[in-house]
Amino acid sequence: MPLIIEIQHLTHCFADGTIGLADISLDIEEGAFVVIAGANGSGKTTLLRHLNGLLLPTSGTVRVAGVSVADDPRRARMRVGMIFQDADSQIVGETVHDDVAFGPENLRLSRPEVGRRVDGALAAVGLAELAGRRPHRLSGGEKRRLSIAGVLAMQPRVIVFDEPFSNLDYPGVRQVLGQMVALHRSGQTILLTTHDLDKVLAHADRLVIMQHGRIVADGLPATVVSEAETFDVRSPQAAQRGGRGLSWLN
Amino acid sequence: MPPRHGRVLDVRLKLVLMAGVSVAGLGLGFAGLALLMAPLVILFSVFRPAARVQFSELRWLFFLLALVFIARVFSTDGTPLAGLGPVAVTREGLREGTLVCLRLVLVFIVGAAFIATTRSAEIKAGVEWFLKPVPWVPAARVATMLSLVARFMPVILEQAAKTSDAQRARAGENRRNPIRRLTAFGIPLMRRTFETADNLAVAMEARCYSETRTDPELTTGRKDWLFFGTAVALILTAAAL
Repeated sequence: MPLIIEIQHLTHCFADGTIGLADISLDIEEGAFVVIAGANGSGKTTLLRHLNGLLLPTSGTVRVAGVSVADDPRRARMRVGMIFQDADSQIVGETVHDDVAFGPENLRLSRPEVGRRVDGALAAVGLAELAGRRPHRLSGGEKRRLSIAGVLAMQPRVIVFDEPFSNLDYPGVRQVLGQMVALHRSGQTILLTTHDLDKVLAHADRLVIMQHGRIVADGLPATVVSEAETFDVRSPQAAQRGGRGLSWLN
Repeated sequence: MPPRHGRVLDVRLKLVLMAGVSVAGLGLGFAGLALLMAPLVILFSVFRPAARVQFSELRWLFFLLALVFIARVFSTDGTPLAGLGPVAVTREGLREGTLVCLRLVLVFIVGAAFIATTRSAEIKAGVEWFLKPVPWVPAARVATMLSLVARFMPVILEQAAKTSDAQRARAGENRRNPIRRLTAFGIPLMRRTFETADNLAVAMEARCYSETRTDPELTTGRKDWLFFGTAVALILTAAAL
């Protein structure tokens, strides 16, 4: 599979001098399902924000589909769709339909094309019936699916989820996880950050662990998960018994 | 699928009407105010029941109106009705105070109706349409800023409600000193509002937000002009009363 994301010696220092990321190098193949785990403050979100140019490197390079993010952040944002941790802060439309249309409208697509994309994205996440609803009245799981639809309507090649299960109840987790797995099966590249491997590890094909702004473990989930607790990440219960983890979808 | 958000009236006509009511409202008497407010109040109570609930949360507006009323009552010369130390309540003061407050309420109701029935994308498109012919004015930028203000208003109100709840949960209303209450409320509210606004701005940026985007189509039909004509007639009649 070709590489969709290439990160070379990425370092990021914040304005106050804190080092957010230190010499990160990471390649991700198109179609992969990668989980990035780490404790709070390990640099997961900072890393994700470099993928679509919301943050730019202090040194090093990030390339998406062969093009440097720093050279063309807008292009990177079209290629990498980002689902934020707080779904509420991502809602910009007055209705579900308007919110999903926000991205395609920013891409200056024709009005019929915007309509087509919105319909397709809402159908894909099962929210077509709620198109006229006010987003703030949706449940937690529905809001997260709305965020996914908003990103899908922009037809990105990579979808990045930042702590997608936080503040969700069990049905909400299952809804979002099901959506994620379906997207991966359809060929989408998925990147996901979490400090809770239990919910998602069964579906990942690569696990990266971060600590203090560095990548400290990277490989197949079954191999890497045994080291997780060394880096302040709780292993899934099944992994503690020698397995990889059970799917929450079963 | 077409947008499901109900389109009440073309945004350009709404902007003209809002400006018209605001300007005319400055000179209206009681009869004119009653003529304009009656249909607005009926429309609000029939079509936007949720908006009525929000009126109970507008205590700061009522506080402002009370201040304006008191200032007018005590600062207008005329026939004295009662005395309070060196100042007197006058008949003319009561009349003026009531009139000014009603005018402010009218402008507020019209503004609330506009916000409740207009998407921020429509506001942007409408303002840009008006500003485009004006030379030296960056129409898209001004329109974007105005539409963002409309977008951030609910964020501020929501944060104010959350901050207020959090403080009441710790008996914040028991503080008697208004300065300390204001500081205790205002500082966390500003911090939370800026944080939320920052998150929203980042989320918008992540979805390629810019000044040049696909705006909603602006169209006017027969119903729009009928409504507009009726409203203009009402405003002119109210101004003549």
